[in-house]
Amino acid sequence: MTDGPLLVLRGIHKRFPGVHALKGVDLDVRRGEVHALVGENGAGKSTLMQILAGVHRPDAGTIAFDGRENVVFPDEHAAQESGIALVFQERSLFGPMSVAENVFAARQPVGRWRRIDRRELESRTRALLDEVGVAVHPDAPVEELSSAQQQLVEIAKGLSLRPKLLIFDEPTAALSPAETEQLFAVIRRLRSQGVGMIYISHRLTEIFTLCDRITVLKDGAGQGTFATADLRPAELVHRMVGRDVELHQRRTDAPPADGRVRLEVSDLNDPPGRRPRLQNIAFSVRAGEIVGFAGLVGAGRTELAMTLFGARRAASGRVRIDGQPVRIDSPADAIAAGIGYLSEDRKEGGLFLEMSLAENMAAVVTARPGSWRYRESDHRRVAEERIRDLRIVCRGPAEPAQNLSGGNQQKVVLAKGLAARPRVFIVDEPTRGVDVGAKAEIHQLLFELARSGAAVAVISSDLPEVLAVSDRILVMREGRIAGELAATQATEKSIMKFASMG
Amino acid sequence: MNESKAAPRPSSREIDLMLVIYLAVIVFSILYPTTFFSWQNARAILNNLAADGIVAVGMMMLMIAGVFDLSVGSVISMIGVVTGGLLMNCRWPVFPAVVAGVALAALAGWVNGMLVARARVNALITTLGNLMMFGGVAILIGGPSIVNLPESFTWLGQAEDPVLGLQLPVWFLIALAGGAHYLLRNSRLFRQLYYVGSNPKAARLSGIRVEQVQILAFTLTGLLAGVAGLASAARFSTAVSTSGLGAELRVITAVILGGASLTGGKGTIAGALVGVVFIALIRSTLITADVKPAWHSVVVGGILILALVLDSVQNRARES
Repeated sequence: MTDGPLLVLRGIHKRFPGVHALKGVDLDVRRGEVHALVGENGAGKSTLMQILAGVHRPDAGTIAFDGRENVVFPDEHAAQESGIALVFQERSLFGPMSVAENVFAARQPVGRWRRIDRRELESRTRALLDEVGVAVHPDAPVEELSSAQQQLVEIAKGLSLRPKLLIFDEPTAALSPAETEQLFAVIRRLRSQGVGMIYISHRLTEIFTLCDRITVLKDGAGQGTFATADLRPAELVHRMVGRDVELHQRRTDAPPADGRVRLEVSDLNDPPGRRPRLQNIAFSVRAGEIVGFAGLVGAGRTELAMTLFGARRAASGRVRIDGQPVRIDSPADAIAAGIGYLSEDRKEGGLFLEMSLAENMAAVVTARPGSWRYRESDHRRVAEERIRDLRIVCRGPAEPAQNLSGGNQQKVVLAKGLAARPRVFIVDEPTRGVDVGAKAEIHQLLFELARSGAAVAVISSDLPEVLAVSDRILVMREGRIAGELAATQATEKSIMKFASMG
Repeated sequence: MNESKAAPRPSSREIDLMLVIYLAVIVFSILYPTTFFSWQNARAILNNLAADGIVAVGMMMLMIAGVFDLSVGSVISMIGVVTGGLLMNCRWPVFPAVVAGVALAALAGWVNGMLVARARVNALITTLGNLMMFGGVAILIGGPSIVNLPESFTWLGQAEDPVLGLQLPVWFLIALAGGAHYLLRNSRLFRQLYYVGSNPKAARLSGIRVEQVQILAFTLTGLLAGVAGLASAARFSTAVSTSGLGAELRVITAVILGGASLTGGKGTIAGALVGVVFIALIRSTLITADVKPAWHSVVVGGILILALVLDSVQNRARES
């Protein structure tokens, strides 16, 4: 062990066909430091971390790690052995296998004749789970856990390597505020033990509460490293985006107070035994109004949206659109009735990754009644318009969706949902994993949609976002609507009070 | 987060394979100038591949939608003997016998579709089970074979056009492929096959009725397998109760060579045809060269694996 910095990157370059992803990046991480790495989607954060994790090798530049100069990580295993662990943003767990088998995948403690020592495996797993504060049984299959619990298991997996450098990539995206606090406590404890950490997040509040220093990346080039205390949030955003972005700008126009009720839901109940179980759900959204749905992960917000959209069945419930009762048994029915839905998971429930942007945006149209014909040229023209209107950064309508950055992919999914011209639009985590610039643009888009007369429901776990975009906020807890707040009076505290207890 | 990558070149498996076919034809023509390089031989190859080609059109649609059907081989056999039995044992006239055969084939496909899409039994298991069941039924109905089918029926497989001398099934295949190609590009319903195969969950949330689309593709494939069964019985004037044996693997091989993926979402009718032609060409050449039949499967299997290895190497080269 030496006292010098834990990790020193100098002049890292990485080229992919057609793109110069990293253009001479420097990065120092000290022992016992939480170092934030920020930048827009596509700035090169992931590539840089993949170099540290042994997934890619740099084309130029040097890596010094833990007192060794000119380190090369030929593969993931080598990086792990040297003491670098990554907590993935997209969960890399094996669903049907137990928590313990996941935490110690391929590194299970063994006894005589390399037989897996179950008792040791369980007790070590239990210790790690206690450390991250998640109350699950080591034998439970991972797929039965909530997404927050899975994220914490992922972190326990990272810790099981006893790493010297731990990299977190958006670790709180699926966590509730309480769970986030818990994670921060774990991180602070690791910091006091001398572990160096790189923390990647789009959530600026987290960075300013947790991190010691911040390195900014923009278009593959370092924009400098700053002590957190010396930097104001607005300045940080300017360095990331290259222009001023109004963070969490509120709606400038008031919603029409006398707007007609567009969506009316009453007496919606789930059959007993479901978790979460929706009960006595009743609310309405007026034309031109944006209603925010806040609550903890697992409170039933996504389930409510899926039910309204016909992708999930309830035991009872009445839905009226513009006063007309509608019967919705499938997403196709919902779209025909004028409801649009943006899935919380854009890769799984939104995008056709290998298909072109034009085809992605045309998906809803192919399912609508009307002409049997699919006119490729029409869809290409519509896609060109959408790309321009939504400022989607891409090579054109023929580009496959998988080539786009997260924020631009999200805009494509929005364009797809809007293609059916919904009167009611439900968006579930519209800016998850999206950078600040694109986030502000997506908020503007929601405002425009409301202004055009749609009823908009926004589900978000990002409280500043809910507060900024909503005219009215409904807070859900354990499958019920626990409270309603006018946006002008709501605060993070008042929302959390409804969300966490009666 | 995705770093933007260079846009991959447009899918060109069809063109690659066409070049390979072109080269193969040149090489074989030099090696066997009299036996291979003749219209006679080309015509024989086309007449022989028509039945597989008809099934491949359906199989391609299924694989675009992310599923496949192993039972087609037995559907071919079963429909041949069912129609043969109706003609010979029940003395039905040709038209109703043919309609009944095709309808039964569509029903078999529909059953596959219901089991996979609605009951959510894995496609491999469902169609493997039906491969065995339909195959058994074919033998139960037909014995080893039903011979001496009437000319009013065999005409369907043996009639030739006066100019090129191609049999009716080849012309049917050409019309079918043209229609399917058009629909896959220009019909909303058939475009949905690509969405369903690419991401079924997103397709469902886009309002696409995923189950119905898959059932449609299975029904069409079953129907086309039935047509292939009729064509083959008519061509040989005999309904052999194992006439479709191995057709499923041949067709799936051809369709994958032609650009389909087991994970769905991609493929074209042109690719399916090129794949079928390629395999027919290889088989015909091996016969011309008097290679033992056992070697045929060794060669075709080897080519399949080689093609996919090349594909995977190419993909990885493109990614890094």
